[in-house]
Amino acid sequence: MAHSLSGNSGSLSILAGAQNGISEEEARILRGLRAGIEGAYQELIDRYEQPIFNMAYRLLGNQTDACDVVQEVFLKVFRSVHSFREQSSLRTWIYRIAVNEAHNHRRWFARHCRREVPLEKHRPDYDYSIELAQDPGRSPYHQALDSETRMMVERALSKINPLFRTAVVLRDIQNMSYEEIADILQISLGTVKSRILRGREALRRELNQQAIPGLAEVLA
Amino acid sequence: MNCWTAKRRSTNFIDGTLRERERARIVRHLNECRTCSNDFEQMRLVRSTLQELPVAKPPANLRAALQVVASRERQAIADGAWSRVRRIWNRWLFRLDDAMRPITLPATGGLASSIILFGALSFTIGTTTRVSNYEVPIMYADHWGANLVPFQLRSSVVLTLNLDGKGRITEYGIRDGSAFFVGDTARLQYNNIAVPDFPSVLAVAQPISRGISISFTPIVYRQ
Repeated sequence: MAHSLSGNSGSLSILAGAQNGISEEEARILRGLRAGIEGAYQELIDRYEQPIFNMAYRLLGNQTDACDVVQEVFLKVFRSVHSFREQSSLRTWIYRIAVNEAHNHRRWFARHCRREVPLEKHRPDYDYSIELAQDPGRSPYHQALDSETRMMVERALSKINPLFRTAVVLRDIQNMSYEEIADILQISLGTVKSRILRGREALRRELNQQAIPGLAEVLA
Repeated sequence: MNCWTAKRRSTNFIDGTLRERERARIVRHLNECRTCSNDFEQMRLVRSTLQELPVAKPPANLRAALQVVASRERQAIADGAWSRVRRIWNRWLFRLDDAMRPITLPATGGLASSIILFGALSFTIGTTTRVSNYEVPIMYADHWGANLVPFQLRSSVVLTLNLDGKGRITEYGIRDGSAFFVGDTARLQYNNIAVPDFPSVLAVAQPISRGISISFTPIVYRQ
């Protein structure tokens, strides 16, 4: 589905929709949600709790904030399901709500907590206490290396521009297509690619500064 | 192809979404340009590192919280159209309760004090309206300046007095058996009729402008 939007400057930009409306499976869930059927609510939670949490965590870098965002997202989905016009897929709609909610959460935190003095010495960029899926086949050395690399990547991710970070997270972590990202962020395909490119470049610079082992070998 | 064009298409190249012809042109450029080759390789590594990041697992209590939210919202749908009105009503009820809570204790205290005070005063109010029986000797003097002596009645007499708001007698009447006599207030003083005070009554109540009936019963005195 292609949407034509005219911006303030009057120029037209083409937004390529990820999918033509909703699938049969999503329509079934939507009907259940609108009718207040318990199974539909449970299915929606089963499907989207983990990916939405993962995305929120990658965007915010904090488990508590990610949990708050996930709860807000599901609350908004449950309450807005009656007004959902089905012009995009259910998955895209939920991710759009999640991205907006994460941005609002970050802005709120930046506005209200900037001048607060935390009890801890500093607020970590990333919450490293979070439970992550580990590969049991890896040796202790590689697990340690993985852990170190992960921390550096996450630290670098937290330092880049939020707009670029969102595009990179949706593309490289959530494995979404350009069209889906364009639909979620309500921007053109060209802007999506540009943001991904600038995000990756910013990450590359950050990782170079932190001298990540793999990149150091490439640089040599 | 120059470096600028190659960089513009790097996203599609790294993601593998370029057509074969375009891809071949970029590969040719990378073979010739070491700077672009390094940049592309680093970006590819960044992408693969991001893709290999482990999935963050949501905490167990998040699922429970989401199920609570879902349950509440399902209940709201089940309640129908009135649920919104009810939610608003409950919200305002809660706010009202919240606002009234600080003044509830003083108000309750004031009410309790009022009840206790009223209860204490109700005994005194009761005494002012109750009929009192006093055995009061009537004193009589046959001339001015003579000592007052008790006046002996031959039969029961009812003296009816009308008082004003200040307790002064405005008129009076005497009933003796079947006869009734309406007296003049001036004659009370003229005839040296002294109506006794009622200090115990006046101590607890103010005079009212109503009629008072006083019964006189004959008593016998030995002189």
